[in-house]
Amino acid sequence: MAELRESAPFFPWRSAHGKRPALLTLALLALTSCSRSDRIVVGAKNFTESDLLAEIAAQQIERRTGLRVERKLHLGGTFVCHEAILAGQIDLYVEYTGTAYTAVLKHAPGPSADSIARAAASEYRSRWGLVWLAPFGFNNTFAIAVREADAEREGLRAISDLARLAPRWKAGFGYEFLNREDGFPGLAKVYGLRFAAPPTAMDLGLTYRALADGKIDVIAGNSTDGQLDALHLVVLADDRHYFPPYEAAPVVRGALLERHPEVGRALAELAGKIDDATMRRLNAQSDVEHKDLRAIARDWLEHTLP
Amino acid sequence: MSLLRFYVENSREVLGLLGQHVFLVLVSTAIAVAIGLPLGILLTRRPAWRRPVLGLANIFQTIPSLALFGFLIPLPLLGGIGARTAIVALVVYALLPIVRNTYTGIAGVDPAVREAGRGMGMTDGELLRLVELPLAASVILAGIRVATVVGVGTATIAAAIGAGGLGVYIFRGVAVVDDRLILAGALPAALLALAADGLLGLVERKFAWRS
Repeated sequence: MAELRESAPFFPWRSAHGKRPALLTLALLALTSCSRSDRIVVGAKNFTESDLLAEIAAQQIERRTGLRVERKLHLGGTFVCHEAILAGQIDLYVEYTGTAYTAVLKHAPGPSADSIARAAASEYRSRWGLVWLAPFGFNNTFAIAVREADAEREGLRAISDLARLAPRWKAGFGYEFLNREDGFPGLAKVYGLRFAAPPTAMDLGLTYRALADGKIDVIAGNSTDGQLDALHLVVLADDRHYFPPYEAAPVVRGALLERHPEVGRALAELAGKIDDATMRRLNAQSDVEHKDLRAIARDWLEHTLP
Repeated sequence: MSLLRFYVENSREVLGLLGQHVFLVLVSTAIAVAIGLPLGILLTRRPAWRRPVLGLANIFQTIPSLALFGFLIPLPLLGGIGARTAIVALVVYALLPIVRNTYTGIAGVDPAVREAGRGMGMTDGELLRLVELPLAASVILAGIRVATVVGVGTATIAAAIGAGGLGVYIFRGVAVVDDRLILAGALPAALLALAADGLLGLVERKFAWRS
């Protein structure tokens, strides 16, 4: 055991070239790198939609290729997933074009949807050998949301209607939204929003509850979130087209696609199959109806891609 | 080096968040001591309460912080968003080590010593004040020390409910994929924990020596 621990490599591939006895090397290879040869590891960020899409991708790979798929779901956000796929700890996860472009690649919010997707794809490939597959077909943008009752009383329909109310209202946003290039500072400038106090910085999931409970009046959620309908929240239209597109697509290690091209073919079947309404419905099945992730993914796959 | 520059450029914000962090830990630990110490003493007088009370404190410890915040938001007096809710959560997490060590410390006092006190005609209050608490002081202080040091780390979650603190940098850094920001919050939090540990360690040793 001591021997094993001593040589247990942080970088599994290096052990293959070391001067260890052949048997130990073999044992180590079996222990540490079986995932590299015949098992595919699917990761996800720490929210329902990411978990669901990862589960759908995992089941699709299993049923089309027969390869074994390991799930590492609900990892800590964009940062952790990105580091994990760079380190080879996961083989694929679902990323959003706008997030990759602004948060990972750290570009200022750019012009068109197409150019963002293309720039992200080419930079991911050249810098890290990661491949963007075709998007699922929905756009999970930031959703500036208010309570339904407020919207009706004040006649709120678009974010530009918010400007006159902002001085009397309280806002609460997630850290991502407050600090991203394409987040609150730009939004406030484009729409002329001046809230009474600086927006409260808090956990994104908690903003929904705080809004529904009347502790704050405006939040920035995710437009495909199942809770929006369930909590009677209304999404205001982005009438000045501030937000870049956030199209979801699988990001896959290029090495995996070379070794198992059938994985790419299996995932290609998912392209364009999930629109905004479908994604919101799938999310609601998990967050509102509390159905099992695997069952939701299985039912949807059987129904859509028999 | 770039971390150093970050601190210089944002010194006012860093100090503000550090201040909030220390405030959250001090207030929550003080409240936890005010609740936990009498509760621990009570348990030595009411042995039947020990299991349910310690069991409850154990359960509190296992509630994930975000779930706890979710429950707290709608509550009228304890809840809402901001420092108050964060302090309630931190108190909940700090209770276990304080209650447990107070109970264990007093229960561990040699029965012969206690008998001697009774033989001298001490009332229960005198016994507690003059014999049991002084003898148990170092164990009780060890509990408070653990609660404080853990509290410094736990207080980073206050940033999830709009209460500020050094967790703000950690949450922000995780959200925008910036290791430097994460470190900017994590490093001072770690140093703060070490400082609190060292300081309370000194106090603890002083009491251990006296008894």
